[in-house]
Amino acid sequence: MTPALLMEAMVNGVFLGLVYALVSVGLSLTLGVLGIVNMAHSAFVMLGSFFALELLRGWGIPPVLAALVAAPVFFGAGAAVHRLLLRRTASTSEAMGLLVLFGLLLVLENGSILMWTTDTRVLPWQPAQAVLSVGGFRVALGRLVAAGLALGMIGSLDLLLRRTLLGKVVRAVGQNPDAATVLGVDVARISMVVVGAGTATAAMGGVALALMFPFAPQEHLRWLAWAFLVVVVGGLGDVRSTLLAGLLVGQLEALAGVLLPFQYVYAVLYAFLALTLIFRGRGLQSAQERVL
Amino acid sequence: MRVVDVEAGYYPEQTVLQGVRLVARPGHLTVLLGPNGSGKSTVLRVVYGLLRPRRGTVWVDGKEVSQVPAHRRVGLGMGYLPQGRSVFPGLTVQENLEVGTWPLPRPARRAALDRVYERYPALKAWRDRPAGILSGGQQRLVELARMMVTDPWLVLLDEPTAGLAPVAAQEVYEEVARLRREGRTVLLVDQNVRAAVSLSDYVYTLAFGRNQLEGTREEFQQRMHAVVRDWLRV
Repeated sequence: MTPALLMEAMVNGVFLGLVYALVSVGLSLTLGVLGIVNMAHSAFVMLGSFFALELLRGWGIPPVLAALVAAPVFFGAGAAVHRLLLRRTASTSEAMGLLVLFGLLLVLENGSILMWTTDTRVLPWQPAQAVLSVGGFRVALGRLVAAGLALGMIGSLDLLLRRTLLGKVVRAVGQNPDAATVLGVDVARISMVVVGAGTATAAMGGVALALMFPFAPQEHLRWLAWAFLVVVVGGLGDVRSTLLAGLLVGQLEALAGVLLPFQYVYAVLYAFLALTLIFRGRGLQSAQERVL
Repeated sequence: MRVVDVEAGYYPEQTVLQGVRLVARPGHLTVLLGPNGSGKSTVLRVVYGLLRPRRGTVWVDGKEVSQVPAHRRVGLGMGYLPQGRSVFPGLTVQENLEVGTWPLPRPARRAALDRVYERYPALKAWRDRPAGILSGGQQRLVELARMMVTDPWLVLLDEPTAGLAPVAAQEVYEEVARLRREGRTVLLVDQNVRAAVSLSDYVYTLAFGRNQLEGTREEFQQRMHAVVRDWLRV
């Protein structure tokens, strides 16, 4: 193991972590603000990958542009899921909401298999295969673009939540929905926006993942597990904590990948999750309360 | 504001309010009193639309509003200070007030905030602090200020002094008196019978979810001791 190889792994870990953070931030937001465990989250990640594939194959639209197109399209899809499914189950038990979203996951997964088969795909975007050599480090352009996309989207979401009135209202709903209602906030509408934004970031995460990994309709559950890992490590609803947790998970995976045999990589990540839960039950977030 | 024969409850098998009637006259301070569990807070929740009445109606400014959702009540000129703490603890004082501007048209938001800081100058010193770290009295002031962002003419206050130190409670009562002096219609629920009655124009009492007594401040003051003794026996 040379220092250069270690450094290269760490740089790749940063790229990986940024994309993991983007894949997870929507799950963190819907869980933190609305208390909704979106079991269908990873299905939208997978659909985001196929969305990029279809735009590239059909119209030659490059992945970064596809991510920008995916944002409003999947925001609408998430808003529709809220309006048609979640709003109807809001007054029932939490288990009902979980079941409905699990059902949606199965529908989306099987619909995707019907449409695209179970074949594993790679995004046929030539620049993604290029390797840049910067200061002696070798960096795959696809990973660099994916990381840049993730950083841009996470930064935008953080700015939206902290600087705009809509963002402040979303955070207020997460902290006290009854008080927000009293002040004239239509909590159902804000919930729809949050689910829409969560779905849009999931799809954009799917575009970013497609730049780094092969994808298939039946293989998205791995990303759901990864997103839950990042959310548990980072705590709920906070974009910056999710980013930090994503980076930690990315670093661990990249370093474990070069320092240990491949079969130990997942064991390291799950050990990290277990230790986090044991020693910092509320994640790395230092806030005393669940706040955004 | 009129409450007409309202029946309401939180669970199907339980009826908290059983035909409650109440009028809050324009520009007057109306006090609603009663022992614990008599349904005082439930009346305010029904008036503000947080609980739909099973029977009966609520009228505000001549319009029947029983089916108007709670988040639209601000648009009717109503403000509500719920029981207990309701600040957004992770948001700064400034952000708490900004959330209060949400129902206002965009151009009116800045002026509304300026007006509130002018009305409650103490808030300026805390504007960048998270509301969750303020004392109980300071949080109450933030909640009052946040309610006043939309300049409501009908104000519902649910035990605004509960859990406050005497000095902070006195400041809240002074603010309630100011709302009354400004000509706003105020409906106040409070546990401190003597303090609430001294501010009031008209008093209602509830017991077991039903109207018990009503009268002007002077009428009620004559019977106050007997009424409170009766509640304590209950």
